[in-house]
Amino acid sequence: MKKKVLSLVLTAAMLTTMLAGCGSSDNGNAASTSDAPAAASTEAAASTEAVPAEEVTLKWAIWDQETTQYWGDIKDAYEASHPGVTIEMVDLGSTDYMTVLATELSGSGSDFDVVTIKDVPGYATLVQKGSILALDDYISKDGVDLSKYAGVTDQVTVDGSLYELPFRNDFWVLFYNKDLFDAKGVAYPTNDMTFDEYDALAREMTDTTFGSQVYGAHYHTWRSAVQLFGVLDGKHTILDGNYDFFKPYYEMVLNEEADGVCRKYTDLKTEGLHYSAAFSGGDVAMMNMGSWFIATMITNLKSGEYDSSLCGNWGIVKYPHADGVEAGSTLGTITGLAVTTASDTPDASWDFVKWVSGEEGAAVMASSGNFPAMMTDEVVGMISGLEGFPTDEASKEALTVSNLYLEVPYAPNVSEINSALDSYHGSIMTGEMSIDDGIAAMNQAVADIQAQ
Amino acid sequence: MRKLSRQTKRDLVAYSFIAPNFIGFCVFTLIPIIFAFALAFMKWDGSNPIQWAGLSNFTRLWKDTFFIAAFKNTIIYCVGTVPLTMIASLALAIVLNQKVIGRGVFRTLSFFPYVASLVAITAVWKMLFHPSKGPVNNILLNVFNVPQDQLPQWFTGGLVLFSMILFSVWKYMGYYMVIYLAGLQGISSELYEAASLDGANTWQKFRYVTWPQLSSTTFFVVVMLTINCFKVYDIAIMLAGGGSGELTTSATVLVYYIYQKAFIDWDLGYSSSVAMVLFLMVLFVTIIQFRGQAKREKA
Repeated sequence: MKKKVLSLVLTAAMLTTMLAGCGSSDNGNAASTSDAPAAASTEAAASTEAVPAEEVTLKWAIWDQETTQYWGDIKDAYEASHPGVTIEMVDLGSTDYMTVLATELSGSGSDFDVVTIKDVPGYATLVQKGSILALDDYISKDGVDLSKYAGVTDQVTVDGSLYELPFRNDFWVLFYNKDLFDAKGVAYPTNDMTFDEYDALAREMTDTTFGSQVYGAHYHTWRSAVQLFGVLDGKHTILDGNYDFFKPYYEMVLNEEADGVCRKYTDLKTEGLHYSAAFSGGDVAMMNMGSWFIATMITNLKSGEYDSSLCGNWGIVKYPHADGVEAGSTLGTITGLAVTTASDTPDASWDFVKWVSGEEGAAVMASSGNFPAMMTDEVVGMISGLEGFPTDEASKEALTVSNLYLEVPYAPNVSEINSALDSYHGSIMTGEMSIDDGIAAMNQAVADIQAQ
Repeated sequence: MRKLSRQTKRDLVAYSFIAPNFIGFCVFTLIPIIFAFALAFMKWDGSNPIQWAGLSNFTRLWKDTFFIAAFKNTIIYCVGTVPLTMIASLALAIVLNQKVIGRGVFRTLSFFPYVASLVAITAVWKMLFHPSKGPVNNILLNVFNVPQDQLPQWFTGGLVLFSMILFSVWKYMGYYMVIYLAGLQGISSELYEAASLDGANTWQKFRYVTWPQLSSTTFFVVVMLTINCFKVYDIAIMLAGGGSGELTTSATVLVYYIYQKAFIDWDLGYSSSVAMVLFLMVLFVTIIQFRGQAKREKA
């Protein structure tokens, strides 16, 4: 009998491994990786001792090397101005970048010296895991002026310490299709619109006639594209715990959906329509999107991938704003660089981080149409002067930001909060929950997370 | 050195044959499982020192809306999938075991969804059941005059689990059909002849010959189905994920939640406690099934 019970348990164990394989064996991986990189890093240490002190190789974690020009530009420019330093880029792919990186840096060590920080939840994870260095000493020693980063570094400061320096900074603007406005004889959107004016304009531009359909607005399926209109007043953030302030924006977008002003969330989710396909299709009058899309538009119109008769005549304006809030307040996301705690050459790594985030790095970024974190008039001039950038004054003006709020500011449990908000955003947008129920569920979920 | 007895030698040879597989099983499966068991009582983020958490991970479970939703959805999904797939595959097998014209073609066709890539066929399903452009909803709209705003939203809300079950039955029935076909071929035709002589009709033949003869096949099918449906993850992600990739409370399942807690939130202890619940569920169901089978064999 005993034998039978034992065999039963073993069988069940074997059967469950088929499914728990996902959970448990990965835990095992996490544990076993802690040994392997440790060995690798001692090897690296041995090799750096053997060569002269100035010869340094920095291993740098990045994503999408093939399709992103600036990684290579930065590497070349830095190596050219710093003889003896070699930058070795390791591409971890963009899809799960922060998850892969956190796994790589798990345990006692790894051989990365510099890592790129893609988002704030991932940053929070690495800070809590103790995988990246606090840069405060370096910052004060070298006199880095944080005020040049327009306040975003304050939003990722952890208990008074900063663990990353931003080098890229994208902010949200409103893209619009001038041809559609011209065809309807409606005035273009402006750099100073309230949400009511924006909503009215989107409705005015909408044409629901079959065959000549025009959507006044388009909202991508990301939570940021709808919900985060609410944080632009500077009084609220997604860490508040009480999300009643989202309500007017959910109402605006869901009412627009019901009236055919924008595509339905459930449709977008089912067909997985990419925002670039929506906008370049030429039936979307206005779309809120990050400034990264500017470089995409310029490149793809130039290469002919986007039909310029559909979307070639485009412009950008500042984000709409709530009543009584300064125009030019917008959402931003930063990409930063951090030095790993496992690095054998933290000084050289810091120098690289400082250089990329500084003015030299900013110039390299701007030359390929990307927005560096350090925005100066010179940089704005460089980007708006790019061939293919809209020529009107309003578009150029739209590049100056008055207040930048990070989509996700730092908090210890920001990753869990993010997951909960994402999930209920889906529930509200698909109509599974009413706006009030969804917001109540968000409030409850985040209260539970913060109570832990 | 003492000479090894013949028996010990024989044992050693046997163990050496098992060793390659068993060592692999230990390193990659058994040790991680034991580790996961222990982790369920710990707090760990993968880097910082592990802390003892006692039962706090488990007390947290019952207050966690997402866990409860995942738990409920997984059970509903299993309760729907297992019997439906079994019945569908058995029916298919019986039909395609007859001498019908083109049965080879039909067998291949029913097996095809199982062979086809999940990603590809979910894409096809999403097209078919697209809420506004899909042919299914267009037929409902134009032929059955269902009003536009009442068209079913197949991939959200209350219907998403139904869609997942339907999809799973359709995808996997071909595979279990093949297993049932093998079982059917193994039934001696003499039994049917004897039954016919006794005047049994078709239903009685099925009830008293086919079904009992297939009991061990059914046992295997049900065990495999149960295990497969508890580990559902891919179907949920492919059919109901999207947007930011998060599953809402109406579609989330346990394995997804384990992944999310472990590798997005880096709460490995809590994630392991969810995995433990899943393990106990499977263990429980498996014990019941083994018991039932043992009783039947005795009878």
